Amino acid sequence: MNGPIKIRTGIQGLDKMLHGGLVPGRPYIVSGPPGAGKTILSIQYLREGLEGGERCLFVAIESPPNELKINMRPFRWNLDDLDVLDANSDIRRFEPTPILEISTETEPIKMRALDERIRKTPDFESHEVTVHSLQQLLKNLFVKRKYERVVIDSITALKYFCMKEFEEVLTTQSFMRFLTEAGVTSLLTLELPEEGDVPPEAFLARGEIRLHKLRDETGIKRFVSIEKYKGSSHEEFVHPFEITNQGLVVNANASAAPSRGV
Amino acid sequence: MVQKDERTRLRPWKSIPRYRARLEGGILLHPERPPRDSHDAIFIVALPRGSPVLRMMERVSTGVEGLDAMLRGGLLPRRPYVVSGPTGSGKTILGIHFLLAGLRRREPCLLVTMDEPPFEIKSNMGTFGWNIDRLKILDATPDVRAHKRTRSVIDIGTTMDVRDMEDVQGMRQSSQIKALEVTVHSVQKMIKQEFANRLERTKEPYERIVIDSLTALKMFSMQGEDSRILIQSFMRFLAELEATTVIVSEHLNMREIETEFFLSRGEIRLHKWLDGNVIRRAISIEKFSGSSFDDRIRPLTIGNAGIVVFPNAQASFRTEDTNLRVGESFLESRIIEDVSNVLDAVLRSIDEAHRRQVPVKDVEVALSRAMVHFQRRHYQKALKQALACDSQLKQRLGEVPPPPPPQPTTPPKPPEDQR
Repeated sequence: MNGPIKIRTGIQGLDKMLHGGLVPGRPYIVSGPPGAGKTILSIQYLREGLEGGERCLFVAIESPPNELKINMRPFRWNLDDLDVLDANSDIRRFEPTPILEISTETEPIKMRALDERIRKTPDFESHEVTVHSLQQLLKNLFVKRKYERVVIDSITALKYFCMKEFEEVLTTQSFMRFLTEAGVTSLLTLELPEEGDVPPEAFLARGEIRLHKLRDETGIKRFVSIEKYKGSSHEEFVHPFEITNQGLVVNANASAAPSRGV
Repeated sequence: MVQKDERTRLRPWKSIPRYRARLEGGILLHPERPPRDSHDAIFIVALPRGSPVLRMMERVSTGVEGLDAMLRGGLLPRRPYVVSGPTGSGKTILGIHFLLAGLRRREPCLLVTMDEPPFEIKSNMGTFGWNIDRLKILDATPDVRAHKRTRSVIDIGTTMDVRDMEDVQGMRQSSQIKALEVTVHSVQKMIKQEFANRLERTKEPYERIVIDSLTALKMFSMQGEDSRILIQSFMRFLAELEATTVIVSEHLNMREIETEFFLSRGEIRLHKWLDGNVIRRAISIEKFSGSSFDDRIRPLTIGNAGIVVFPNAQASFRTEDTNLRVGESFLESRIIEDVSNVLDAVLRSIDEAHRRQVPVKDVEVALSRAMVHFQRRHYQKALKQALACDSQLKQRLGEVPPPPPPQPTTPPKPPEDQR
C-alpha cells in the first residue's frame, strides 16, 4: 500500500506505531497528564529535524526556555541550532492601563545563545502574550524563514493564559488552521487531567499521540497510544515506553494492556 | 563532564603527573593515589564557584532525607514546586522541613502563610522541638472582613507584615478602622517589597520560599478574576525571584487541570488513607522536570522528628480515598460484586464486538481504567466507568447490524479478569 510520504518523529518505536511517521504539513496533538514526558517527546521530534538539517522552532508558553535548556542537558542532544521563541507572558501588572501586546522585537533565539537564568520582566512595560499577538508574530516569522517543524508547548497554556475574551475552542481551531496554512508540521502538547474527560482540542488536530501515566506498586508505568491519525493507518494497541537517558524509548513490540499493570 | 585533556588521560598510576591540571573554565584536576588493588584512577575535581557544571549538579535539600533520596539529591534550584495532598497529610510540615534545612545552612528563608495565623504555626511546630526563630514570616491571612457600605475592598499592600518567627505572639487583631483584604496582587506586592527590602539591608536574597497555601489564595482572593491567568502570573513572579519555592496546594478536583500543577516544575504528592482503623501515609513524586526520580510510592510517618520517608520500603498502597469506615465492609462486598458483574458483562460484549469487528479500542482503554479503579478500591468510580463502557458498547453493537459469520481474525486483547 502506498501511503503519503511521512516524516520521522525521532522515536523509533513511535514511528513504527505510526506506520512510518507523521504526514507532513499538519498539526498533531501530544497529550498526557503532567509529568508524562510530552516535552521530551517534542524535543526529540525537533532534534530529528535538526539532524536532517531542517529549520525547527520551539515555542515555549508553559515554562521558561532557560529551564528547558538545563532540563535537556542530561540527554546530551545537540540542540544548538534549535530556534526557541520565549512566549511566556510576563508578570502581570495590576494597572488600569490596557494590556500591551507582546512586542515585535521578540525574536526566536538559538538554543546555544539562550541564557541560563530566567528572563526578567522589565519594570516599566510588561508584555502580555495573547493568541492574536502570538499568531501575528509566528506569521511574520514564517514569512521570513521556512520552518519545517514547530512545537507549541503547550496548547493548554495558550488556552488558559492567552485567550482571554476569546472563544476557546474556536480560537484553538483557528490557530491550528493557521499552522496548517503555514505548511509546518507541528506538534502541540496538551495537558490532560488525571481523570475525566479529554479536552476538546484533541478532536481538532489531525492526529493525537496520547501518553498515559499509571501508578502501581512498582512505580510509574508509562504507555503511549495513537488515539487518532487521519490519512494513515496506525498501530492500535497501547505500547509501553520508558524515559531513559536516550529520551523516550517506545517498545513497539510489547503490546501491553494497561489493565494488566496495577 | 570534563573536557579531555592531554595530561589527564587515564594512565597507570605511576605515570600520572603529580601536578594539578587546569582545564577549561577554571576546573582543577589533581590525581589521587588509588587503593592498592584497584585499577581505577582517582581524580579530585575542583570546580570554581558558579561554574556551569556545578550549577548543573546543584540540588536543594528538602530537609527530609528519604525524600531527597527519592529526588536523587533534592530539588533543582530556583524553580517553583508544588506539594499536594489531602488535608492533614503533612503538607505544611513538609514545607517547614524545607525551610528548616535552609535555616541550618544559614540561608534566608521566607514563609508566606495564608491559611493559618503565624502563631498557630509556631506553636504547632514547637511540638517537634524545632527552632524556627530565624524564619521570616509574612502573614497574609486575611482580616476579618468589614462590611462597609461604600467600599469593602482595600489592599493589604500598604501594611507590610514580615516578622521574625521569634516575635510572633498571639493572634494579630484585625484593624478596627481599615479592613485589609488579601489579593494575589497584594501578596505579590508584599513579597516583592520584602525582597527589595532584604536586598537593601543585607545583600542576601531569599533562597527558599514556602507559600502555604495556594488553595487558600485561590479560594479567598481571586473572586471575580480569571484565576488561571493570575496564578500563571504569580508562578512566573516566583520563578523570576530565583528562589526555590514550594507551593502548598490541595488537589481539589482531579478532573480539572489546575494551573499550578502543570506550570510547576515538579509535584510531590502526599497520600493519606484509612486502613482499617489506622491512618496510613505515603509520598510520591508525580513530576520532576529535568531530573530522574524514584517513581514508587514510599511510606511516610509523621513522628516526633517530623516527617520521615522510607525510601527503600514498599508502601502497601491502596488508596487515599476509599472513604471506608468500620462497618462498611458489608456495603463494600455488595459493591464489589456489582462492579465485577458489570465488568464481566463488558468483557463479554467486547469479545462480541471483536467478533463483529466493531472498533472498540477506546472502550477497552476506558475499561482498563475502570479496572484500575477497581484495583485501587475506588469502587464507585469503577462502577461508573464500567457502566459507561457498557452503555457505549451496547450502543455500538446496536448500530452495527450483526453480521452472523464470526471471523476471529483479530485476536482480542484479553484484559484479565481481576478478582
